[in-house]
Amino acid sequence: MRSLIAKFAGKLHRDRSAVQGRVGIAVQDDVMISEGAPDLSRLTVDVLSRLSCLGVVAASPSLPFAEFLLRRANADAEAIVPLDTETRTFLHDIPIVRRAELAGDPAAAIAALLSNRKGVIAEGVGIVASGPVTLEQAYIHYSSVFHACYVKYLLDVLQDGFLLPGEEDAFRDFRKTSLRPLTSEELFFSASHLDDPEEVLAEIRTVGRYTVQRGLVDSFFGNISYRVGETIFISQTAASLDELAGCIDPVPMDNRSTTGITASSELLAHRRIYEATGARAILHGHPKFAVVMSMLCEEKGCPVKDCWKDCPNVRMLGDTPVVAGEIGAGGLAVRVPPVIGAPGKAIVYGHGVFTIGRDGFEEAFRSMVDVESRCREEYFRRLDARAGRQSKSE
Amino acid sequence: MSLREHILIVDLSSGRMRREEISPEFLGTYLGGRGLGVRLLRGRHTLSPFDPSMPVVFAVGPLCGTPAPTSARISVVSRSPLTGTVYDCSAGGRFAWRLRAAGLLAILVEGRSARPVVLAVTSAGEELLPASDLWAKGVGDTVRALSDRGSVAAIGPAGENGVLFSSIMMGEGNAVGRGGLGAVLGMKNLKAVTVDGDRVMPVADRERFDRARADVLRLFRASPVIFGELGISEYGTPALVDLMRQRRMAPTENFRRTVFVGAGAYSGPTIRAAYGAKKEGCYGCPIRCKKRASDGRPLPEYETVSHFGALNAIADLHSIVRSNDACNDLGMDTITAAATLSAWGEARGRFPSPEEIGTLLHDIAHRRGEGILLSEGSRRVAEALGMPGVSMSVKSLELPAYDPRGAYGMALAYVTSNRGGCHLRAYPISHEILRKPVASDRFSFSGKARMIKIAEDTNAAVDSLVACKFAFFGASIEEYAELLSAVTGEDHTPQGLKEIGERVYLTERFYNAENGFTRADDDLPARFFSEAGSSGEGIDVPPIDRARFGEELTKYYRIRGLRDDGSFPDGGFLERQP
Ligand code: SF4
Repeated sequence: MRSLIAKFAGKLHRDRSAVQGRVGIAVQDDVMISEGAPDLSRLTVDVLSRLSCLGVVAASPSLPFAEFLLRRANADAEAIVPLDTETRTFLHDIPIVRRAELAGDPAAAIAALLSNRKGVIAEGVGIVASGPVTLEQAYIHYSSVFHACYVKYLLDVLQDGFLLPGEEDAFRDFRKTSLRPLTSEELFFSASHLDDPEEVLAEIRTVGRYTVQRGLVDSFFGNISYRVGETIFISQTAASLDELAGCIDPVPMDNRSTTGITASSELLAHRRIYEATGARAILHGHPKFAVVMSMLCEEKGCPVKDCWKDCPNVRMLGDTPVVAGEIGAGGLAVRVPPVIGAPGKAIVYGHGVFTIGRDGFEEAFRSMVDVESRCREEYFRRLDARAGRQSKSE
Repeated sequence: MSLREHILIVDLSSGRMRREEISPEFLGTYLGGRGLGVRLLRGRHTLSPFDPSMPVVFAVGPLCGTPAPTSARISVVSRSPLTGTVYDCSAGGRFAWRLRAAGLLAILVEGRSARPVVLAVTSAGEELLPASDLWAKGVGDTVRALSDRGSVAAIGPAGENGVLFSSIMMGEGNAVGRGGLGAVLGMKNLKAVTVDGDRVMPVADRERFDRARADVLRLFRASPVIFGELGISEYGTPALVDLMRQRRMAPTENFRRTVFVGAGAYSGPTIRAAYGAKKEGCYGCPIRCKKRASDGRPLPEYETVSHFGALNAIADLHSIVRSNDACNDLGMDTITAAATLSAWGEARGRFPSPEEIGTLLHDIAHRRGEGILLSEGSRRVAEALGMPGVSMSVKSLELPAYDPRGAYGMALAYVTSNRGGCHLRAYPISHEILRKPVASDRFSFSGKARMIKIAEDTNAAVDSLVACKFAFFGASIEEYAELLSAVTGEDHTPQGLKEIGERVYLTERFYNAENGFTRADDDLPARFFSEAGSSGEGIDVPPIDRARFGEELTKYYRIRGLRDDGSFPDGGFLERQP
């Protein structure tokens, strides 16, 4: 148990989603074990003792976006509602609990909300998330809330500007110091076509690790595959991209076997992309700026309500097509394959990026870096333009 | 709950029937289904299963009859003649929905009729019909004869003849299987129950309901196990055949091996190709995991194909489908039937051939020849043959098709299940094998005691709702609490539901304890601790470490608030429950 706590505390630091030293984790087996910053660790114990649950994570997020969202929300709001696909599907909404409500018994207030949702934002505390089945699940829920807040905050700022004292400075700091340059330089990819299953598995594991190491995606947000003849080697559902050893399924193209029932929920999309493009490698992840930019549609008077799944249009973000589509058996597998062939990349509304490699993963990886970099640039171009407009009108 | 709910109480000895309102407070603490049934047994839980006064409760849940996905299921609860434990089983089809539409949340049947009868229930009332002409008929003929009376739950010859693993069969082909409740009805001379109703169930907050339902459906679509192109919606539960082969945990030749080379003969894709399998589902279920052949007969589930296949070393799909047909018509549990034949096969040194199996199944149902002994299930067969070690059962319930050496949570869950060796209580296959909602390490005991406890509580709530376990390969208790809140207009939380589940689970365990079950009964067959499974392809399947298993079991008891020997710290548990 203690090694598990150390593992996930380490991941929260490595993926830079939590402030160093501001993590508390509790797990209960037959006894309760907790570690981390004393106040947060105590809080997780108190929360967990009120829940039928295996583990709880509480941490100060490395970026203040969750806190800002909470303070920007209406005084009577009980939750914030990010509209990215991950949140719609898995979180629904994210409850918020304000400082005043935490005054008496903070653990009770947080546990009451966590008894209904996977993660909450507590003012002055951070993100608290639960794992009913495993501690990893609490880590995943923490990451999901962090990701959702990141995306929503960026969207809100572009829409409404800065509203709180200190917000603009914090954002400037984020822009200057937190964003790592995205690059595929100094990474080694296998150049030739791979046929040997062992080499394929090794390459998938390596590239999966690269995506997380380079800050392109968070650990478990994405999937990856490689086609050899009539077999697709694909990462399993809910697998972490940086820990794919033993988590890759070989799936026959013709569904002769159902072994791939544990494969990623995007298996169908991968299969269709292979059929449509003849590619050998596919990379799918949820880089944040691409998710943000995909949700900015300028169409006026459009009758479609659920853009994320029902939009029939193909929009362009630079040279990258953007289409709608739900995870799994939801239409993404219909809309992505026809548009991804020529540009080698596509974005799914509110969800993430698919890229292909005609020879191997290098092209796919470069494309993903390229899409996310351009989306980042475009985001800041629009933000700067907005600031310019604002200062002119002042 | 805001709605006034009713139970029909039927005394077969006197023929008296009455509808009573169930107190709302009572429903708030037990929900319905399994929880309600278990509560209604209180006071009579130590009676013999075949005592006429032992009740059999048919109970649906508060979501039944609404468009809540997978919620039109029924729990049947009594005490099992096979295991001696408290027993519940959930079944789908149309029966649950029609029962609710007849204005009832539950039926409790007690007593014993002097002659065979059918209980016929409609919105207008209920009657007992003479059924002597149906006695000895197969389930198929019985259902056809009663088809103008709505949905039918019937027993076949196995139930009439007291086979200890006889089922109650729903007309659509679903079974109230495993524990032999068909024999309990048989002993009561109740051949069938028919239900037909026309009431529509109200939903207190439609907007909230629609939102929650959309959340559930979105999660179904995101789950490869449910709606993936290789998932159970496409191939039914036999989608697991290839996976269990690949994970090297398919029980083979009475659990002597864990890989069967002929498993491809009955995999999901093979069944589809051979029988033109079409999708079918329980009432209102979008998953539609049930599969029917092009001629309309229900095709077997994973556990059935695997046990009539690998467990008996048979790679003949048509023989397996015929075995399934026979068990369905005779009203007999497929898992126990196949596992009993397999144990008997090991004991005599030869597994039954495909040609022999049909005759043997009929002999069991009619209790003649070898069937007299075989009708008692594997434990009694093995003991009678002086080889108790060949019965691969826990608390006399035969283990299904997940070898515990390949998933340690499953190993623990088999022994802590209140109804014996069952995969559906904690259902750790969900995370140990299918990676839902997250993956856990199948070859580790670490944390498993707590995981099993939480899952048992959650699933006891799910069985009380009564929703389908398969829904939870995508959705979670969070979305179902929301559906329940929307239907009842009262707020329910996942935590609150788990507390109900815990109460139900502990009540069952307490009943079992009062019937003499102790830690010694919470054990796996010795084979799993001394013999390895079939290692290979980079997967090592060693015997389970008995010391580590025992340690985790002790942890489990502590987490449950029990003594280290698995007993209750005091005798006042029931009095403290509502
Ligand atoms: S998933 Fe299958 S068993 Fe469950 S309710 Fe639906 S059709 Fe019935």
